[in-house]
Amino acid sequence: MAFYRPAIICICAVGILMAAGCAQKRQLPIYGSHTFNGKDTVYHTIAPFQFTDQDGAAVTNATFKDKIYVTDFFFTSCRTICPIMKTQMLRVYEATKNMPDVLILSHTIDPEYDTVALLHDYANRLGVESARWHFVTGVRDSIYKIAQTSYFTAALQDKTEPDGFIHSGAFMLIDKKSRIRGKYDGTKKEDVNRLIGDIKILRQE
Amino acid sequence: MLYEKHCSNCHQQDGQGLRRLYPPLAKSDFLKNNFNPFICTMKYGTSGSIVVNGVEFNKLMPGVPSLTELELAELATYITNSWGEQGGIVTIEQVSQALSGCAPQ
Ligand code: HEC
Repeated sequence: MAFYRPAIICICAVGILMAAGCAQKRQLPIYGSHTFNGKDTVYHTIAPFQFTDQDGAAVTNATFKDKIYVTDFFFTSCRTICPIMKTQMLRVYEATKNMPDVLILSHTIDPEYDTVALLHDYANRLGVESARWHFVTGVRDSIYKIAQTSYFTAALQDKTEPDGFIHSGAFMLIDKKSRIRGKYDGTKKEDVNRLIGDIKILRQE
Repeated sequence: MLYEKHCSNCHQQDGQGLRRLYPPLAKSDFLKNNFNPFICTMKYGTSGSIVVNGVEFNKLMPGVPSLTELELAELATYITNSWGEQGGIVTIEQVSQALSGCAPQ
């Protein structure tokens, strides 16, 4: 019988290692600067904002209180990356259907053209509910500023670009404490799959 | 590929379009019944309310004015022979003829 003993020990060792590995859950990073105020670590959070959505309703930080949300910057008349981003965001919308604590926020970077009425028509044609997916317009400079300083993404008007704007195709994942927890390429299916997986991880926190 | 470069962002790889925002090109009755306008649409864009396979669409489609007659013929041939369709080859002559009926808007 002595012959079997090493094998049994070996199986036990593997079992213990696996259990230890599973207990250590994957954590999402927290983006931006971290400072220590003497008591706690203070993280970068999204600055206060107020925009108007496709129903003409005010959308502020309070709209996302105790919610996880995915956000991006686009404009309805864009022919380059935005239609792809919207195709992918629609996958996020479908994947989070049964998650009442997950919302989507799409900012237009062309607020002069993308009025409330136009965004309403756009959302309607996309077939999405305003309670779960807010398309917002507002003061142009406020939109550009929040893109750059809160979400660390690019949004600028530039007449030399094919569509008249410089913008990134990024999707940002924001947690219930208004902190950025992930950044994804909204034009790539695989990266959006990763985002959908990360939403599930974040909901466990 | 010309289709991927200029069209599939909106009309999708599989030509199915996107919900009620971008109309389908695959098996589109509208396209079949409006061949000449289709050529013009690629180059000059289009807008206004249209019905494709029973569904209403109404958004601006920007055209691609830089497309040459050869490229338009290639695109039209690709679209009318994809997604289970067999429309045959669209010639440059057909494209020239279609274009003579539309002017830049
Ligand atoms: C920016 C998005 C966008 C791009 C890029 C685009 N289209 Fe369209 N297309 C539309 C929209 C929106 C409509 C509906 C226009 C309307 O409401 O009158 C449309 C309508 C059409 C129609 C008529 C309706 C139908 O489905 O049969 C055809 C044909 C068409 N497009 C072909 C093309 C081709 C070919 C290309 C590439 C050269 C292209 N489109 C590029 C958005 C786009």
